[in-house]
Amino acid sequence: MSETGMAGDTAQGAGPMTLSRRRILQLGLAAVPAACGARLLAGALASTDGAARAAEPAPDAPPYDPAAHEWSFVIDTTTCIGCGRCVEACKLENHVPEDDELNRTWVELHVVADDGTVTVTSPEGGRFGFPAEDAAVPASIREAYFVPRTCMQCENPPCTWVCPVSATFRTEDGVVLVDEKRCIGCGYCLVACPYGARYMVPAGETTPKGVAGIVDKCTFCYHRITRGMLPACAEVCPVNARIFGDLNDSASAVSVALAEKRVRVMKPGLGTKPRVYYTGLEGEVE
Amino acid sequence: MTVHLAGRELRTDPRAAWRALRREVTGMPRALKAWLAFLLVLCLIGAVGALLSLPPGWEVLGTSPSFEWGILITAYVFFAITTSGLCLASSLGTVFGIEMFLPLEKRHAVLALLCLITAFGVIALDLHHPVRLVLGAVLSPSPFSPMWWMGVFYGIYLVFLMVEVWSIFAGHWEIHRAACVLSSITAVVAPTTLGAVFAVLGARPFWHGAFTPPAMVTMALLSGTALLGIVFYLVVRLRLAGHERALTLAIPAIRLLLTITLVVTALVVAWQILFGLYGIIPGLADATTAILVGPLAIQFWVLRVGVGLAVPLALLLLPRTRTPRGLFATCCLIFVGILADRAIFVSAGQIVPGTAVAGVVSTPFAEYGPTLVEIGIVLGAFGFLGLAYTLVEMYLPMGEHLGHLAGVFLGTSQPAGTSAQEVTAPVPVSSPIPPAPRPAPLTDGAGGVS
Repeated sequence: MSETGMAGDTAQGAGPMTLSRRRILQLGLAAVPAACGARLLAGALASTDGAARAAEPAPDAPPYDPAAHEWSFVIDTTTCIGCGRCVEACKLENHVPEDDELNRTWVELHVVADDGTVTVTSPEGGRFGFPAEDAAVPASIREAYFVPRTCMQCENPPCTWVCPVSATFRTEDGVVLVDEKRCIGCGYCLVACPYGARYMVPAGETTPKGVAGIVDKCTFCYHRITRGMLPACAEVCPVNARIFGDLNDSASAVSVALAEKRVRVMKPGLGTKPRVYYTGLEGEVE
Repeated sequence: MTVHLAGRELRTDPRAAWRALRREVTGMPRALKAWLAFLLVLCLIGAVGALLSLPPGWEVLGTSPSFEWGILITAYVFFAITTSGLCLASSLGTVFGIEMFLPLEKRHAVLALLCLITAFGVIALDLHHPVRLVLGAVLSPSPFSPMWWMGVFYGIYLVFLMVEVWSIFAGHWEIHRAACVLSSITAVVAPTTLGAVFAVLGARPFWHGAFTPPAMVTMALLSGTALLGIVFYLVVRLRLAGHERALTLAIPAIRLLLTITLVVTALVVAWQILFGLYGIIPGLADATTAILVGPLAIQFWVLRVGVGLAVPLALLLLPRTRTPRGLFATCCLIFVGILADRAIFVSAGQIVPGTAVAGVVSTPFAEYGPTLVEIGIVLGAFGFLGLAYTLVEMYLPMGEHLGHLAGVFLGTSQPAGTSAQEVTAPVPVSSPIPPAPRPAPLTDGAGGVS
């Protein structure tokens, strides 16, 4: 199945796309998780369970060639509804700790007041949506949008440069990974990351491979994408706000999105060359 | 079975060793016993903290993804720069042959070595997999990483210091001279790479920039000199070995060096804040605000500026306080100021994360509070340093050697042992804590006394 095909399949059920952001806020934000509700959550769980089963390599599958791919994300902030399914799916798929303060991916709500003041919130990483009582909504709103966040898989990643034992590295297909057998848990990469995309696996928890006391981060669900699947977060997104694909494939959803939409990257001035692009962001988002 | 150490015969069977230890302790003055007991308690607290922090118990640390480097990193930086500063201060005598700095040499070498070991111990407890660091640094080196270079240079520095200490006590002056020069060079390079660990991080505007490594060297020199000042005051006060030359040469040398370094440090701190106030670099202005009027303000104004800079400078300049006791107070205050300064430095780089970290939005400032375990480890580190140095002072011949006066550092060395001697001061009756009985001096192969 091609990347385009996968993304298209995911987009088919994108009913809530007609809701405007301001309308969502006016409804008190609680409408979002209510609308998505248990059905969507159940769907997410079923989806990731199914994905985990499907992650078993097919016996006759051709060997994966990293040099043939260049993975990337386009995140559409105009369609994200902040339901938090992506966060939940990531937690389940990648054994991310239950702790609300430790996430590989999360969703932020950016509310821009009329005076230009930006208020950013991410209750529990946006995992359970954005309940109205938690939202710090100014009296007069100019703009509001959800911003899904993840590792930017930078082309020039500061985290790999600073690692003293080469434990974190960038693969040929453009994904920054952590070698769990080498990581010393010094936290240098964590401090060096301008996007806050890393966390230290806490006591009592391990990485998916069972290692404790090292750094963990988004891998674009490398175990899935190398088997021709979507990352869990993209798979469960009900509005196709996370468009994933191969930049080497001009027909892939991500290539099409990049060709058709005006995109931005976060903190371009740092020269990290992120491979996660955003649409719908007018100003600087940090 | 017996072993010989520093001219003493030590029994190794447990019963005999225990009896000897009891005899030794019984014969100590009460004040010394109290001092050693205090240090042992600190070490015990540190040991408990260390055990609790060992994997898989690292959640006892108060750090978080938003504030990953806490008080242990502060302590590591503090000890790492202090060891470099000790070497830099004494290099004026050992490398450049300036006579007034010569008495610093033996004590600096021992202190520098102990400080470095303490720094390594603290950082090992902060790392979750320290063994992997040792293996990984060799098997999968990362030459682009400042942290890797920092490890390389501090590792080399450790070797040079060990050679320096060994050669000074064994009386191998040619080796000693080479070790002094090499350790002094690495004592400059190592703190600059430590500074580079922070300076290369574009994501942390307060740390980022070419200014950080030289600032780290300045702090190193100040910290090391202050520690020397504390030790040499105690040498004079307690009339330990070499106290006469300590009074006439070492203390004026330390005062001179402290005055210069303190002025330079004040300028460094002032410029750091002024740069931050201009506010054109995202994150830097916020960090500066945190220092001046935010969560770090009390540390900055009271400990960094008041206790660490203004009062010491006044004490150094006022005629009434230009005494050994005044210098001791100055050094203690500077020491506190440097510790606060390093804590501010480590915190200010993280207190404004600039982004949500792992899903946590920290507005306006990220929060961190050290846990009792972390504080215990730091107290233990100071206890270890104090205890180890006290034992060295008690049992090793710490009087100034005169190898350098024989021209070793001026390029006119004489055969080893022909003129080097131990200068050991007599112990006066009025000494508050008389030292333990002096061991027989070490002798080198040529019959000279080291």
